[in-house]
Amino acid sequence: MGEMVSVINTVDTSHEDMIHDAQMDYYGTRLATCSSDRSVKVFDVRNGGQVLVADLRGHEGPVWQVAWAHPMFGNILASCSYDRKVIIWKEENGTWEKAHEHSGHDSSVNSVCWAPHDYGLILACGSSDGAISLLTYTGLGQWEVKKINNAHTIGCNAVSWAPAVIPGSLIDQPSGQKPNYIKKFASGGCDNLIKLWKEEEDGQWKEEQKLEAHSDWVRDVAWAPSIGLPASTIASCSQDGRVFIWTCDDASGNTWSPKLLHKFNDVVWHVSWSITANILAVSGGDNKVTLWKESVDGQWVCISDVNKGQGSVSTSVTEGQQNEQ
Amino acid sequence: MEEFDGEPTVTWIPGLNSQKKQMCFDWGPGEMLVCETSFNKKGKSEMVAGCPFIHIIRKDIDVYSKILRKLFNESHGIFVGLQRIEEELTGKSRKAQLVRVSKNYRSVIRACMEEMHQFAVADKDSASGRQFSSQVSILSAMELIWNLCEILFIEVAPAGPLLLYLLDWVRLHVCEVDTLSADVLGSENPSKHESFWNLPGNTQTLTELELRWQHWHEECERHLQDGTFASDPRLESLCKVLLGDDAALLEQKELLSNWYHFLVARLLYSQPTVKPMDLHLYAQSSLDLFLGGESSPEPLDNILMAAFEFDIHQVIKECSIALSNWWFVAHLTDLLDHCKLLQSHNLYFGSNMREFLLLEYASGLFAHHSLWQLGVDYCDHCPELGRVSLELHIERIPLTTEQKALKVLRVCEQRQMTEQVRSICKILAMKAVRNNRLGSALSWSIRAKDAAFATLVSDRFLRDYCERGCFSDLDLIDNLGPAMMLSDRLTFLGKYREFHRLYGEKRFVDAASLLLSLMTSQIAPRSFWMTLLTDALPLLEQKQVIFSAEQTYELLRCLEDLTSGRPLCAEPDAQQLQEDDIETTKVEMLRLALARNLARSIIKEGSLEGS
Repeated sequence: MGEMVSVINTVDTSHEDMIHDAQMDYYGTRLATCSSDRSVKVFDVRNGGQVLVADLRGHEGPVWQVAWAHPMFGNILASCSYDRKVIIWKEENGTWEKAHEHSGHDSSVNSVCWAPHDYGLILACGSSDGAISLLTYTGLGQWEVKKINNAHTIGCNAVSWAPAVIPGSLIDQPSGQKPNYIKKFASGGCDNLIKLWKEEEDGQWKEEQKLEAHSDWVRDVAWAPSIGLPASTIASCSQDGRVFIWTCDDASGNTWSPKLLHKFNDVVWHVSWSITANILAVSGGDNKVTLWKESVDGQWVCISDVNKGQGSVSTSVTEGQQNEQ
Repeated sequence: MEEFDGEPTVTWIPGLNSQKKQMCFDWGPGEMLVCETSFNKKGKSEMVAGCPFIHIIRKDIDVYSKILRKLFNESHGIFVGLQRIEEELTGKSRKAQLVRVSKNYRSVIRACMEEMHQFAVADKDSASGRQFSSQVSILSAMELIWNLCEILFIEVAPAGPLLLYLLDWVRLHVCEVDTLSADVLGSENPSKHESFWNLPGNTQTLTELELRWQHWHEECERHLQDGTFASDPRLESLCKVLLGDDAALLEQKELLSNWYHFLVARLLYSQPTVKPMDLHLYAQSSLDLFLGGESSPEPLDNILMAAFEFDIHQVIKECSIALSNWWFVAHLTDLLDHCKLLQSHNLYFGSNMREFLLLEYASGLFAHHSLWQLGVDYCDHCPELGRVSLELHIERIPLTTEQKALKVLRVCEQRQMTEQVRSICKILAMKAVRNNRLGSALSWSIRAKDAAFATLVSDRFLRDYCERGCFSDLDLIDNLGPAMMLSDRLTFLGKYREFHRLYGEKRFVDAASLLLSLMTSQIAPRSFWMTLLTDALPLLEQKQVIFSAEQTYELLRCLEDLTSGRPLCAEPDAQQLQEDDIETTKVEMLRLALARNLARSIIKEGSLEGS
């Protein structure tokens, strides 16, 4: 809708090989990046600056994703790699170090995602060996592992947690007593499926739903942040070039219906919701990132194309666009 | 499934220019990160250096403009005031108030425009000067549109005065109109004009006005027919203008800067009592005639046309598309909603358009280090979705200073946003612990009502005490009050400190009772019992008997409890043996002291008082 978008900072990461992921921390003050050069780097990007804070080595293969934990746990970062490992890094007394290493997978770990902070410190990891592992911090440097084997045949490409929903009333729980959250997350895999997982009362994870609509490998799933309505929303994208928006209206969370956002003419690799869930960013294989928003009349509308440029920019180009509109 | 009236804006990212690479991205709290990547994950490194740059991109950079900030601040005040307008006010007084609000908004826009204009003029030849100029024209357009909306939708000018309002509107925004009216007024029949313009208001009805105008119009026409002005083509052309002849008017195109100026001129001379509902007919034809097929309408034209057609939704939609900032549509829509002009437009998300726009605008404010406070008010006045939006945004505000953290917390506490309070306090407590500010950490965990963290911090305090022999942050611990109940460990910390205080005040009997109760009530962690028992030694060695016999039995029992539960080390090393030695000595000393005290207390209790 005619939003002016500008580059406000460019960070030179000095990665020696392809960058695979870049994540801002909770407040937008720190940037974590990871690369095929096997390193994870952390930068302080306040006030338009860029100061390298840490260069973390430990992986033995390309690092695919990084994820920041909620700041209430301190400065904690998780990374996953082709080397089948998941490493959790922590900043202690101003220095970053490896806090934990998880090597329970037989193949590349493709995706890591921290659960809502209300559940504590829990990390979901999806791997090409088809399994999903859940690491829970139990205190004193200890992590408990739960594994879901054969979550997706051939491989799991993405994991994404549902936002925390406090069941029952919102009345203050007496201190020390944890409310009973219903923990759920979504995963996408090479079996063309999106699966929804729920933690049972005995602590085991069970497959709750299968969402079928894609005709090729699901590359990414993203559960939208909660905006206070009973409806839940998930975005998924696939090798088949399609992006679906799945919604579930009833409180029991049983009927999911897909809406096709768009069919691209190439693989769609990545989908991501903005913090307040009203803009969905979609990457296309055609070197563009498109931004989608639900408009006033309920239709999903493409509001912006972020494109790779040929040579230098930029302000003149965006201005030009403005006048055309 | 997607529809759009035009192509979406394309933003070009510099430097990512390889054909083979793709763009990777993710969201930050207020921005987007973009970099070059290759999604097709191959295990081996490509051995080709990719572009190492990550671009941080953001929308709504208007928030950072110093001049616009005044606009945001002042309009915020008007907005909040508008929300408080009495619901009971109806009819004329309500309308008058709403018009006043509208005028206030417009004066804020104009003030901003003037300030920016000064900057533009001062900086004429630079890029920033040009940017200021372009901002000035955007603001000017905004005021133009708002003014028209005020006339048509809020003032709801009826037929007759409508034209006067439109004349004012054009006069305000287009300087050249003065030239034209000067021409007109300087014509041969000034008296006729003056009498026509003598609109007293209430003493003439619309019909009377219309009759008089008709009469005058016919007279002009007769003069033209009779060739009264045949000798002077200029006067003849002027007469035609007065008769509302389109062609004649168009001949003066240079004096008319745009089609809506042309429209008002046409109406002035051919339909001065035009009814609002007929306005759109003249508007469309004016636009067509003026452009003459040479150029196509611009966004501003479409917006004004939608207004003349009284299509409020279309106005809002077109403005959303054309303007780069949500400020305009958000505030205008809110005002129109207060005029009860918007039908509730249900979105997929179940909210209405007003909230949709206000929250979009507020989102942009939250990105700013101080304007976020304005954002809070906008969320407050969106009953359906405001709260959730506030919850999502408020947690992301960087807590750079204690003062800012307190402000954010106050906002949350005032709105019973307990989850957010808890979360923020936990973050601050954690930060304090990392920086070894235990007192601060403790206050934050108490405020967060976080028992687990309070326990953690209390343990640190106790550990510190054991290492240094004294407490830090005494003030805080001494004044815990009912907060002490938050966690057992915290209660213990508070009571233990109280014991030390009592001892310091030489209130030995009270101190002794407290010390004992800490163990018997199980509040003290077992790991601390040895310390407590050791603390009892000086009380046992006093000249007077402090612990009663019963208390001494209790202490003995505690000691036995402690020593019997001691695990045996499999293979004690030298240090372990040494520690064990110390432990054994301590225990022996205690046993001796307790036994002696037992004897003394039994004797004391057995004897008569005073003997």
